[in-house]
Amino acid sequence: MKKNGVYLDNCKTSKLAPEVLDEMIPYLKGKFWYPGAFTSIGTEIAEAIDDSQKTIADVLNAKPKEIIFTSGGTDANNIAIKGLMRANKNVGKHFITSTISHPAVLAIFQALEKEGYEGTYISANRDGYLNLEELKNAIRKDTVLVAFTHINHILGTIQKIEKIKNILAKANHKIYLFLDSCEAFAKIPIDVKMFGIDILSISAHKFNGPKGIGALFLKKGTKIVPIQHGITRLHHLKPGSVNVPAIIGMQKAVQLAFENFEEQISKLRKLQNLLHNTISERILDVKLNGPPLGERSPTHLNFSFSFVEGEAIMLMLDFEKIYVETGSACYSQGLKPNYILMQTGRTHEESHSSIRFTLDRFVTKEGILRTVNVLEKVIKELRRRSPFGEN
Amino acid sequence: MAIKYTKKVIEHFQNPHNVGKIENPDAMATEGSPACGDQLSVYLKVDKKSQIIKEIKFQSYGCASNIATASIITDMALGKIIEEAKKITWKQAADKLGGLPPIKMHCSVLAIDALRGAIKNYEKNKLGKKFDESLNKQSIEKQLNEVIYGKVGVDIISLRLVKYIGIDEKNNVLIELSLNKEDQFKDDLKHEITERLNRFPKIGKIKIALV
Repeated sequence: MKKNGVYLDNCKTSKLAPEVLDEMIPYLKGKFWYPGAFTSIGTEIAEAIDDSQKTIADVLNAKPKEIIFTSGGTDANNIAIKGLMRANKNVGKHFITSTISHPAVLAIFQALEKEGYEGTYISANRDGYLNLEELKNAIRKDTVLVAFTHINHILGTIQKIEKIKNILAKANHKIYLFLDSCEAFAKIPIDVKMFGIDILSISAHKFNGPKGIGALFLKKGTKIVPIQHGITRLHHLKPGSVNVPAIIGMQKAVQLAFENFEEQISKLRKLQNLLHNTISERILDVKLNGPPLGERSPTHLNFSFSFVEGEAIMLMLDFEKIYVETGSACYSQGLKPNYILMQTGRTHEESHSSIRFTLDRFVTKEGILRTVNVLEKVIKELRRRSPFGEN
Repeated sequence: MAIKYTKKVIEHFQNPHNVGKIENPDAMATEGSPACGDQLSVYLKVDKKSQIIKEIKFQSYGCASNIATASIITDMALGKIIEEAKKITWKQAADKLGGLPPIKMHCSVLAIDALRGAIKNYEKNKLGKKFDESLNKQSIEKQLNEVIYGKVGVDIISLRLVKYIGIDEKNNVLIELSLNKEDQFKDDLKHEITERLNRFPKIGKIKIALV
């Protein structure tokens, strides 16, 4: 982070906590061994991995054996979704997801559709909540999997998982529930038993852990086949070398996120409120995108600033070392406005002028106040240049 | 590969020249729309005798390259006679900025369109010139010449992406593009083509097919 920088793009990726790095270093230097049986060095590593599995399992109310380490969120999602659909194709080839699922999840389903699988995409309302009536109607005899993004990465909407669980429980056959919880993990409490989750993915770099490491919770008894093949080291669904330092780092990141969890979330909520209230008070013609403040993820805010375009806002903030994300078409690879904002009823203009702010444990009150000070000036200047700004 | 703006683009974005509106301009034009993510208005004051652009200003709703290209084309046009200013191309404007990322080339086209549009309005309203805006293959091609394929930053005519242009007796237009159905720029191109062709006042339905 550059000096005085304020990083508010933590949903994209977050800073590695120094404590995490400290924990990883011995495994990058001296303890480079593989986990293994009987030998002292192999056992030491195997025990460290066991311990990491337990740490993650405990916070999810799962069993350690139900935790599989992956190379990140996308890897976890691929292993889960493709492996599950392929394993159950004798039951059916139908899945249900949402039009506002994370692009990494949608990409997997698009690939499966080319293999002959069939999907139903349910919609969401203006606040980003899934239309659960549509879910009820979408269930078919051949539905194998229901897959949703737990917290929407653009709007910060937290889906009501217990309601989804209840709908699936009423179906006449077993339908697996997969959640991409990469954004949700460490932001809200997750109890896989209470929520009736069969598979869930998490990713360490979203909560101040290292990149290139994630995990799957896979409920015991879930019918799944591997999509990758090689030498099994820890689990047959994820063959190949074991990224021990990253696993150790992820464990530490989980421990940091969940120690005094309530206190940390309450601190984030205060900062989120401060950012929300100061923007609303000091800048005219702004609209909050997503659900009401208290309902949403404690780390997410998304505003549209009328009459100006988001990439311009983002770059002007960048000049002042403030880092955010925009949903503008001008910043997208295909020159399209963000599909989630469009799917949830925003106009093109509202999408183009949207800025997402996502917090983490390192954001301070001073950082938030500096952000709003700069933002106020940036919006004023861009509106001065805009043909719509004078109204 | 890293995609970034040149120093010159950043300079013009941070401190754009000729920002604002001219009250009682001799001519003005607006190109683009907020729905597309960029809109630009150009205002002109032209010296009657010499036909020299003596004042030019712009207002922009758009990204950094939209603002920077608007700033550079207004600099380039200021002090030129309108015949010369008309000849400024989007390529020259982009070059003057040290280049633009391919995905941003369309901003330069928009800026030139707005400048030429303002000059055309001047010629129409102040000089009494008449323009033939009838719909034909050549005039459509001319419009498509200005539609940039964002992946490489070149127009779709030069790239030979346009395979067929058809016009029926009801002025319905069919454009066939040689493009993969999964091409991430397909929606952007369709949008851009439709917007440009809708400038023909008598045009019917526009159909764009991917072949």
